[in-house]
Amino acid sequence: MTAPTVDRGGDVAGAGDALAAEELVEELGGPSPLWRWVGTPVVLAGVCAALYVYVQGQDLDRIEEAALNAPMIRQRVLEHLELTAVSTFFVIVIAVPLGMLVTRPATRRLAPAVLAVANVGQSIPSIGILVLLAVVVGIGFEQAITALVLYAVLPVLRNTMVGLDQVDRSLIEAGRGMGMTARQVLLRIELPLAVPVMLAGIRTALVINVGTAALATFIGAGGLGWIINQGNIHDRTPVLVTGSVLTAVVALALDWIAGIVEDLLRPKGT
Amino acid sequence: MTDASRSPEPMIRLESLTKRYPGQAVPAVDGITLDIPKGEIVVLVGPSGCGKTTVLKMINRLIEPTSGRVLIGGEDVTRADADELRRHIGYVIQQIGLFPHMTVAENVGMVPKLLHWEKQRIAARVDELLELVGLDPAEYRDRYPKELSGGQRQRVGVARALGADPPVMLMDEPFGAIDPITRDRLQNEFLRIQADVRKTIVFVTHDIDEAIKMGDRIAILREQSHIAQYDTPEAILTAPADGFVEDFIGAGAALKRLNLTRVREVPLDHWPAASVHEDRARLRRLLAESEQGSLLLLDEEDRPLRWVTARDLAREREPLHRVGLPATAVVEPHATLHDALDEMVTSTVGCAIVVDRRGRYQGVVDLGTVTSAIDEMRSDVRRRDRAVAEAEAAPGDAVGEVG
Repeated sequence: MTAPTVDRGGDVAGAGDALAAEELVEELGGPSPLWRWVGTPVVLAGVCAALYVYVQGQDLDRIEEAALNAPMIRQRVLEHLELTAVSTFFVIVIAVPLGMLVTRPATRRLAPAVLAVANVGQSIPSIGILVLLAVVVGIGFEQAITALVLYAVLPVLRNTMVGLDQVDRSLIEAGRGMGMTARQVLLRIELPLAVPVMLAGIRTALVINVGTAALATFIGAGGLGWIINQGNIHDRTPVLVTGSVLTAVVALALDWIAGIVEDLLRPKGT
Repeated sequence: MTDASRSPEPMIRLESLTKRYPGQAVPAVDGITLDIPKGEIVVLVGPSGCGKTTVLKMINRLIEPTSGRVLIGGEDVTRADADELRRHIGYVIQQIGLFPHMTVAENVGMVPKLLHWEKQRIAARVDELLELVGLDPAEYRDRYPKELSGGQRQRVGVARALGADPPVMLMDEPFGAIDPITRDRLQNEFLRIQADVRKTIVFVTHDIDEAIKMGDRIAILREQSHIAQYDTPEAILTAPADGFVEDFIGAGAALKRLNLTRVREVPLDHWPAASVHEDRARLRRLLAESEQGSLLLLDEEDRPLRWVTARDLAREREPLHRVGLPATAVVEPHATLHDALDEMVTSTVGCAIVVDRRGRYQGVVDLGTVTSAIDEMRSDVRRRDRAVAEAEAAPGDAVGEVG
């Protein structure tokens, strides 16, 4: 499974790492953008095919068949995607405006407090938040979403703040100096130029959410974690392998899509 | 001090403009009052920390004044809508601040767009402005700022500031971050543009040489933007108001004055000159008739070719275009006397040859021309100061003149 390393206290999640890694890859004469775009799906398709062949080759018992049939797998994958998509959506809706708010001159002093709260959300282990929520407000889809959102707000918030703060002050002065309103400067200058860093944060949040959504099964929200858990409690290796590999494939596929979006939305001329 | 701002209609008037920051004992700008005449470049110059940039930014209210007023075209703008105000004031900063994610055309067309001009009108205006600053629209319109050199970016910055044809422009060390050679060229280009567009410009710099070159008038500011002297460059160089101004101008005020006069403004001397195709007997006679020891030979298009002496003419075997010395030290009419002097000292005959734009011989400038230009400047300023003093003394005659 993908294990994104997120620096809890300090750095911008993803942005620096992603850029550095890209530069390194380019320097080493690594994959061209085309190969990055095409290579990942080819590899992932190959992995899925190999998994299919492996499972077909097994002699499945009743327990295994209950977990490894097409409708069940489809349902769990869709649940997983739904958990990821809905939680990431709310993360963006909450963290991006919040990041914009705490970088405005008038409300900048709120930044430390907001960051502190977001830091707490990320510092508590995700399984802890899930269980805590289950105890306090019960189990289900909404609770799982709440936990995922709390856990992934920080990278998006932080990257939005850093992305907006790194916009050259002289551009803002030039904008205001020629008669753009504060709002026009934000929408036409600051946000477009902050997009790459913000997207890196969103991509990190997405990957965190795919991984954490695997835990949602423990509070009854389903997802691919259910398959893994079935394999675990019944001690059935094919089930365990299928759940784990599918989780990894979904994570990599979403990361691949996010990468393409990043490439497409990068402002021209920068 | 002399009141230099006697022009009938100041475009910008600063009235006791003050900026006080909370928690600071002394104001950053302490009640500056200044009239900026229409169509002129007024340079605010002073040591760093004197508040000159603060004064500039109070004009377009990027910094709100604590007290005092700014009048533009007679209208008090201290209460006006600041964003709307700024759309009608061109603004150029040292960092230029071109938007990197927008093309040259989008950058230049930004203010017209903010003013809701029609698309076609904006496109036409952008092309017009790029032409004006010497960039081919077809080639540069769709480029991004990172695809331009520093000098080209600066030109786009100026074009952008001229976007909606504002009557007033504010420039904050616009050429500060550019290498000296390019800066010199951009300054000259800007002066050429200004001769066409005649904007009222407030220009901030810490470089007195730039102030002398660019300013129709210079306001030398000391701490808290107290005006040490506000006058024409000639007057400031010839008659510094006090020790502070003298120190600030620094050494070589006389040499700096040479930057103020252009070759086309002084009477040219005539040197014996003739076509290289004349026969030698005639050339010899010409040389003998003149008081000079050499003759300037010109090519078929009147362009200076060689300096020749009587001895060179005597060398019959060599063709004329190979004898003597090459005619170097050539200046055009828009060169300053400083440039001409520079050429002169390297020239073999001690004078600079003046040619027109096509390189045709016009006359020469020598050391005598330079000295008399300095003398004239000095007496001009004295004459003016005397006239001002008399005008000021006149109403007080009855009281003042006792003995």
